[in-house]
Amino acid sequence: MALNQASQLYSGSDRLGPWCSPTGSPAPLSCETGCGEGSWILVCRLLVPTQVSLLSMEEDIDTRKINNSFLRDHSYATEADIISTVEFNHTGELLATGDKGGRVVIFQREQESKNQVHRRGEYNVYSTFQSHEPEFDYLKSLEIEEKINKIRWLPQQNAAYFLLSTNDKTVKLWKVSERDKRPEGYNLKDEEGRLRDPATITTLRVPVLRPMDLMVEATPRRVFANAHTYHINSISVNSDYETYMSADDLRINLWNFEITNQSFNIVDIKPANMEELTEVITAAEFHPHHCNTFVYSSSKGTIRLCDMRASALCDRHTKFFEEPEDPSNRSFFSEIISSISDVKFSHSGRYIMTRDYLTVKVWDLNMENRPIETYQVHDYLRSKLCSLYENDCIFDKFECVWNGSDSVIMTGSYNNFFRMFDRNTKRDVTLEASRENSKPRAILKPRKVCVGGKRRKDEISVDSLDFSKKILHTAWHPSENIIAVAATNNLYIFQDKVN
Amino acid sequence: MEFKLEAHRIVSISLGKIYNSRVQRGGIKLHKNLLVSLVLRSARQVYLSDPCPGLYLAGPAGSPAAPPQQPGEPAAGPPAGWGEPPPPAACAAWPETEPQPERPADPAPPRVGAAEPAAPVTGAGDALRAGEVEEEEEMETGNVANLISIFGSSFSGLLRKSPGGGREEAEGEESGPEAAEPGQICCDKPVLRDINPWSTAIVAF
Repeated sequence: MALNQASQLYSGSDRLGPWCSPTGSPAPLSCETGCGEGSWILVCRLLVPTQVSLLSMEEDIDTRKINNSFLRDHSYATEADIISTVEFNHTGELLATGDKGGRVVIFQREQESKNQVHRRGEYNVYSTFQSHEPEFDYLKSLEIEEKINKIRWLPQQNAAYFLLSTNDKTVKLWKVSERDKRPEGYNLKDEEGRLRDPATITTLRVPVLRPMDLMVEATPRRVFANAHTYHINSISVNSDYETYMSADDLRINLWNFEITNQSFNIVDIKPANMEELTEVITAAEFHPHHCNTFVYSSSKGTIRLCDMRASALCDRHTKFFEEPEDPSNRSFFSEIISSISDVKFSHSGRYIMTRDYLTVKVWDLNMENRPIETYQVHDYLRSKLCSLYENDCIFDKFECVWNGSDSVIMTGSYNNFFRMFDRNTKRDVTLEASRENSKPRAILKPRKVCVGGKRRKDEISVDSLDFSKKILHTAWHPSENIIAVAATNNLYIFQDKVN
Repeated sequence: MEFKLEAHRIVSISLGKIYNSRVQRGGIKLHKNLLVSLVLRSARQVYLSDPCPGLYLAGPAGSPAAPPQQPGEPAAGPPAGWGEPPPPAACAAWPETEPQPERPADPAPPRVGAAEPAAPVTGAGDALRAGEVEEEEEMETGNVANLISIFGSSFSGLLRKSPGGGREEAEGEESGPEAAEPGQICCDKPVLRDINPWSTAIVAF
């Protein structure tokens, strides 16, 4: 259904979920509420525009109209449309997605208006551009995928927005800016841009800026290439806003935004003899406040915190976080499931959260020998690891996110389920991002997986889970209870229910 | 016994994954191949430590030149020949056809490590041990043959014995020797001079 029809389907009556209590006053739309005190409603489901619509957009038609009308219901998803990364900007006004086809689509939050109060919180397409193209490395006979692995926003410093997007090998800095004025009255060109015959020019005039229809344009400002031998898995903007880092399997490089032909190598874990390779870097992130500190996670389930002031090459960590392995859980696949797929600092900078295949863990930076909290995401899969190895699902890299106040953490699972854990109340919930619940403002019903024995009516058994529907990428608005959940080619936006 | 079967199955699946990763778009993923090779190692350890006399699981069927799979063709399941007991003649033939030289300073010596008798010391202990060593030899050579057939022409790199084996190159390593080894190689020059098939998988091209 197209986005502009969404408001017509709004129905006035809301059913309350079974686990939330009705309140007399509207729940505050702030991040303090956590996940246990409210229920979640679907704001909108967005489909990434297809390639066809992109071509049309280049023909100089009103961008917004095209974007809305192309949000059709597709019964199939081309692989290029699969969303591979989701990220809110620092204010939450913009939401960027990258997909396997190398495209970036930016959504903008609908402005609040008196006429349509319930439309606030919806996101509409703001800009779409092709960030990366497939490339071929001739020296290695290696095709470089155009899939966008990560997008990171820069904090806004002027009217334009800047973001970094990366595929396996190249990072690009994109500038997204609005144009709503156009100069008219050139002397040497006519209105269509054709050069005038100088002999016909008899007067001199000053061009004036006239308003025009809003156009959002994205231009690549920097291309940071040729610095990674292995596949880039992370990028992270430093809090000094002057540098950022890119991490691949064995190395981490530090860049200055202004300099594209050089980068500093700050971590190198490549062994002299590749046969001795035992672990790779899986994710890296800068500390949110200390511009000299960053962490990186490994495939062995360890996290290293490094201080760039200590030495130029941060091969020796300042802190080393590792939990001793539980010997009773040992299996063929112990190493795979302990590999960390994502690491995120809390907004406060005091904690880090890591995601491995079955759990999410919260670590205190001051305690290295074990995490302070461990949450089981889908422990019922522990007995199915062999099948998951066969169908490659065990290699899925789930991400994890904090809410704005660091009180709730969220991560994805299979069957389009995603889970939230409230760190304070210790309550957790499993929700589903599915087409069946796609009625706008529909309240999400908590889901439950039945692990054995008698299956209750609303529960789903482990064997019925659809492992092709996985939620790897989610994002949480920096200050409000609005979440974006990517399910294949669909982007679901949910928000806290307001009475 | 079940462990052995399970381990064997996992080995087959893992080898299939390593093969498939070569034809995957985007090049070989180092992380995934490392994880697969770790599983391969674990499975091999279980396989070799689980005493099961009389059970021949290793080695392709008596056709050592199992039709090499073309690189463009995705491996459909385990390589042909797994799971069938080789006729005794083939077993004897293997040490001759085995192309790889033995490296004494093997970092992960399968023979030395696994030759430790895991079998109970009984009257037939010696025979058992001999059987086991032979069995693991089957596993080894069988594996090599399979790797050969799987990786086709690129395996020539494995067989090339270069004195500089293990030597790492300087940072400007992306060109040069890699061009000599066709196929999608993501990491820099693979150190294939040491021809232990297990660590070869780990080196991951």
